Amino acid sequence: MKTLLAHLTGLYGPSGKEEAVRQAIQQEIKDYVDEIHEDVMGNLIAVKKGNGSGRKVMLAAHMDQIGLIVTNIDENGFLRFSNIGGVSPFNVLHRRVVFQNGVTGAVSYETELEEIKNLKLNKMYIDIGAASREEAKKLVQIGDIAVYHAPMADRENRFFGCAMDDRAGCAVLVETIKAVKNSPNELFFVFTVQEEVGLRGARTSAYSINPDIGISLDVTITGDTPKSRPMAINLGDGPAVKVKDSSLICHPMVKNLMIQRAEEAGIPYQLEVLEAGGTDSGAIHLSREGVPSGVISIPCRYVHSAHEMVDKNDLENAVKLLTRILENEIA
Amino acid sequence: MKEFLSELIEIPGVSGYEEQAARRIAREFSPYCDEVQTDSFFNVYGIKRGTAAQQASDRPKVMLAAHMDEIALMVRDIDDKGFIRFTNIGGVDQRILLAQEVTVHGRENLHGIIATVPPHLQAAEDSSKVVKMKDMSIDVGLPVKKVKERVRVGDLITFCSPLVTMQGSMVNGKSIDDRASVVMLTEVMKELDRLQYQAEVYCVATVQEEVGTRGAVISTYRTRPDIGIAIDVTHGETPDAAKEDTHAMDKGVVVCKGPNMHPGLTEKFLEVGKEYGLECQIGIAPRPTGTDARSIQISRSGVPTILLELPLRYMHTTVETLNLNHIKAGARHIALFIASLKEGWQEWLSY
Repeated sequence: MKTLLAHLTGLYGPSGKEEAVRQAIQQEIKDYVDEIHEDVMGNLIAVKKGNGSGRKVMLAAHMDQIGLIVTNIDENGFLRFSNIGGVSPFNVLHRRVVFQNGVTGAVSYETELEEIKNLKLNKMYIDIGAASREEAKKLVQIGDIAVYHAPMADRENRFFGCAMDDRAGCAVLVETIKAVKNSPNELFFVFTVQEEVGLRGARTSAYSINPDIGISLDVTITGDTPKSRPMAINLGDGPAVKVKDSSLICHPMVKNLMIQRAEEAGIPYQLEVLEAGGTDSGAIHLSREGVPSGVISIPCRYVHSAHEMVDKNDLENAVKLLTRILENEIA
Repeated sequence: MKEFLSELIEIPGVSGYEEQAARRIAREFSPYCDEVQTDSFFNVYGIKRGTAAQQASDRPKVMLAAHMDEIALMVRDIDDKGFIRFTNIGGVDQRILLAQEVTVHGRENLHGIIATVPPHLQAAEDSSKVVKMKDMSIDVGLPVKKVKERVRVGDLITFCSPLVTMQGSMVNGKSIDDRASVVMLTEVMKELDRLQYQAEVYCVATVQEEVGTRGAVISTYRTRPDIGIAIDVTHGETPDAAKEDTHAMDKGVVVCKGPNMHPGLTEKFLEVGKEYGLECQIGIAPRPTGTDARSIQISRSGVPTILLELPLRYMHTTVETLNLNHIKAGARHIALFIASLKEGWQEWLSY
């Protein structure tokens, strides 16, 4: 898990430019699935056929990560940018970022700003060390996207780095693909694109797959750091069975199935009520005539920062829980 | 009619958890339609096939939609004294929460009170501040151990506020938004039974409207209607609300105009009202409405949609106030409109 996660989180993959992540995952799983293809949106869809008696299940984890898109290059070579997905000015301030071609830069801001709390992305810029517009243009073009440059670090069971949202979910799906041996269900593992900009890959892949059940894997916030916003989720206390977020209210049948499978196998789990934020199941459950859907969430501190932190036990228990759900009948 | 409304508002039907309400509604629909269906999200479809035998190609499929779900609260955490922390499902106004009576739907139903600091203990500046929902808690009168045995994160919390009859034809209670319109669906079916009509009519009690018209998204996709009619509530006049945002409580149902609604069909609807002497008011919605009409209109290849609204005072509180006469009047108007859809009904859809 550690090696896989370090590999996946180190790859460049902002929304719309997920190819490196897709290729890496394809390499990891191709020998464990019956079919694999990439659709026109760039979603990677891998199928494990069931024995024909079960349900058609769509599993989703998103490959994309948030990023900074260059909107202007000024005469002195400073890059102005806009956000791809939910980028907080405070999370990117004085971070090192990297472009697809490996060019790195530092994010800073107009220091004449009197109150730092008024910091907005339009008062910020990326400095790639270029002395002029001409020099900068040799390295970066308008429309290029930078992501955090923050290789994964770890201590004991804790992993931290950028893009745990949602490469951690991708890693859980990859390990689940390897772990699931006999399933009565037809399993569509979808590594989705463009979640961070509105669940867009999940929407189209759910439409084309037309599943009976949808389950997505994504990170959720925790409430276990000093004076954090209240949230009854702790890092390391187990994967979370989502009850609701702002994109969906999990179908009671799917939620209860997750709880039942966790309890009968003694897998630790938590219940998640997320007040803001959404994930791929939000799009999946409203596809066509409706797809009963749920979410297994991976507790994660500092979501959307360069140092998202997850726990190894939560990841491994998420694999166990998901495997157990998939290997059994789904009502 | 009042009895059904009274019974219905006491059945918990929180967005995403409508099964119990759906079962009751399906039972009510059953005698008045040819078939009742319930989908996996508990949208309930009362289907009437029409009275006149028609070529299948030349009769419209009309979908009526009224949402059955209600706004509520959900357990977010339990503190170490056994007080329940909560969040909202749908648009709950935090100003009206303190000292409300609620039911916590745990392993068993627990009666609870939303805790409040007595005036004696408030600092002078506190009395003019709104307490935030994140700082509130529910007291179910049990010690922490017993609370935790019975209640978990994610359990639902509904308001206690049964239907009360006021003067004249006015009633109040919780969840009249939009159970009154679900009752109206039943009344439309009854009215249709007195008329000759050609349309195939799907009366859909939808789910999850309060969290983003989600039941309408999937039920409209499933139904593939030619015409959509959403029924919901709008704001009735009160002394402190702007006149242009509200409607009279005794001047008929509100027919809504704006880009979300089909102009030609809306005019026809108003003409039918005039022809039969049914009073109604006009509402204006310059943007996509917050109602099921929002999603019905843009389902599949697009659905010409009408929006009918019942004036309601104190929306999203536990004392939502309604004129019962509007349910009957609206039902009759819709039934007469449906009966007016005859050969050439497609022409009504042109701009």
